[in-house]
Amino acid sequence: MKRKFVVAASMAMVATLALSACGGSSDDAAEEGGPVTLSMSGWSLATTPEFQVLADGYMAQNPDVKVELKEYDPVNYNTLLTADLAAGSGPDIIVQKEVKFVSTFQEGGQLVDVTDVELPDDIGGTEAYDIDGASYAVPYRQDSWVVFYNKALYDQAGVEYPDGSWTWDDFAETEEALAAGLEGTAAFGGYQHGWQSTVQGFANAQVPDADILSGDFGHLKEYYERVLKLQDDKAQVDFNTRNANQLTYQGEFGKQKAAMLTMGSWFVATLIAQQAAGEADDFDWGIAPAPQYDESTAGIDNVPVTFGDPTGLGINAAVTGAKLDAAKDFLAYAASEDAALSLAEIGITPALLNDTVVETYFELEGTPDDELTEFAVSTHKTLPENPTSSKTAAIQNILLDLHTAVMSGSEPIGSAIDAAEERFENEIGD
Amino acid sequence: MATTTATEVAAQPPVSPAPPAVSGKRRRSRLRRRNTLLGWSFILPNFLGFALLTLVPIIVLFYMSLTNWNVFGTANWVGFANFERLIGDGSFRISVLNTLYYSALHIPLTFVVALGLALLLNNKLRGVAFFRTAAFFPYITSIVAIAIVWNLLFSPDYGPINEILRFFGMENPPGWLTSSDWAMPAVVIVSTWRDMGYYMILFLAGLQTVPRELHEAARVDGASTIQRFFNVTLPSLRPTTFFVTVMLTINSFKIFDLILVMTEGGPGQSTLVISQFIYTKGFEESQFGYASAASVALFFMCIIVTVAQFLLNKKRSV
Repeated sequence: MKRKFVVAASMAMVATLALSACGGSSDDAAEEGGPVTLSMSGWSLATTPEFQVLADGYMAQNPDVKVELKEYDPVNYNTLLTADLAAGSGPDIIVQKEVKFVSTFQEGGQLVDVTDVELPDDIGGTEAYDIDGASYAVPYRQDSWVVFYNKALYDQAGVEYPDGSWTWDDFAETEEALAAGLEGTAAFGGYQHGWQSTVQGFANAQVPDADILSGDFGHLKEYYERVLKLQDDKAQVDFNTRNANQLTYQGEFGKQKAAMLTMGSWFVATLIAQQAAGEADDFDWGIAPAPQYDESTAGIDNVPVTFGDPTGLGINAAVTGAKLDAAKDFLAYAASEDAALSLAEIGITPALLNDTVVETYFELEGTPDDELTEFAVSTHKTLPENPTSSKTAAIQNILLDLHTAVMSGSEPIGSAIDAAEERFENEIGD
Repeated sequence: MATTTATEVAAQPPVSPAPPAVSGKRRRSRLRRRNTLLGWSFILPNFLGFALLTLVPIIVLFYMSLTNWNVFGTANWVGFANFERLIGDGSFRISVLNTLYYSALHIPLTFVVALGLALLLNNKLRGVAFFRTAAFFPYITSIVAIAIVWNLLFSPDYGPINEILRFFGMENPPGWLTSSDWAMPAVVIVSTWRDMGYYMILFLAGLQTVPRELHEAARVDGASTIQRFFNVTLPSLRPTTFFVTVMLTINSFKIFDLILVMTEGGPGQSTLVISQFIYTKGFEESQFGYASAASVALFFMCIIVTVAQFLLNKKRSV
């Protein structure tokens, strides 16, 4: 009897486990003509308020639509999103964190064609989302890379502030001068973060006729040689130490360990918040336009060329009917001036950068109020860091290996470029 | 060790009731069926989990390696095109060479260190339990913590390891994780440090089975410690040695997490191993069909080497 009971109990347990494993997810069918709920993906919701700002702004204008945020881990955002989309439980509004994944999603049929969403005329960053003549996402934010500089350390080193006319040689000279002036202190002339974009992003955008999709990487040589010289002269922390000690750009600039920093404009909001909270030191800082390839685009009478990728919103291909209309309407809102103003109020650089938006941006407490900063933030020609193509992810991996090999000093730039071009032929070329 | 005499065995009651001779066959098969059902019901939960989470994905993997699936689209059949591409892929070749290089360093080093530790800690000294725990500790430590700490230790200009080397007169200590020549040896050192505890435990267990009479007989015959080690300990340890070697080999071929957090395959491609190649192709470049083909290649590599080891062991023990 006891044995029969044990057998029966184990069978029952097995059956329960098997059935619970097959539990399906419930689908919320969109009700026609009733309140619509849209889910939107986001990351680090506690420290990245832009998603909630967009959601709140839209809900204020459209009381019958509810926008709910779904949080993802920021480092593995695209992998987690891929898993959710492949399982059919992805969000309705998909935030495009990295341009290089847009073509993967689009090729996999995960994004709705949003060419018919009306966008303001002077909005930037739309080219990144154009694939085969149709548009698959709408940009709400466009970051670009600029130079952040510490006025207090400049004064201490006795170096003049940037005037917006720098070429890369000027930049290197200034960094060496700062390093010399700051000798004996804990501060370096500049800080360069470990990402491949800190060198390659500028090279790809600024060198005429540079195109990584062609497999020709010779344009990177000059940029790497300059950086390696700055490293050798100890004007900035070298790549190996940076990696071993896991330095952060927020820490290095915020704690005044470097007088200059090339970084994306998203750092403005973070720096202001950290200074207000006391996590960063309290010092005067400013923004200068990115150093240029040559004189032709340098100076405040020209439009400086820099790089940066937009952040945009796409719509899940599984969304239909009334929900789809609401989703497209939300995209149109995100690109509009109303949304741009609400984003500028929290220190984000929106894709739509007209005069009103720039004014609102600088009304934020803590933003520097000098003319050069205003010029650097508002005037630039921003080229994409990642060209939109299905080959981009693979090419960027090849270039990442080149970056680590050269910056760590394991391989000279010449042979590294040759090896990368060979790899392109072998793994991608056709 | 109790020795059972023949009388004692005969006096023990039979385990299962003897079926009557009349309907013996039917009763026996019903009993066997019941026993089989009972057995299955106990292993079924575990087997279901294994089937759903491991077996089915592996079968799907073999299928996927013959398609060009990119996670979202349909999996289009491409036959052996992925494998042809693998053979010509320079990065895959580099990853295979790196994996073999890593294994060639890691397997003998870990084996010797683990065995040495086990021999040392096999005595009933005071505090031996503490040292055994200390040796095992790295194995259960978080891999991210290990990577951060060893990164700092290996820092070429400021790290303690190079400071010590410079103190002993070495003028140009190796660049360790920042040099493409020394990155793999550095990873092997950390990996050995991490794994030695686990294999030490296996060896300790094996050392308990070495009969003491053999050692005493050898000592009486005048054998030195080293002679005793090679002629008594090692042969008696063969089953454990075989198991450790097989596990070490398979785990070395599959190494992934330590390399990913310590060097991410860098600098350049000097520490790129097969597992990371699979991860990059699959999750970063969304080429799941191609990544599956590389996984199948790794699978066959492990199987062939393991079968070879089994055959070798069989030959030896005859």
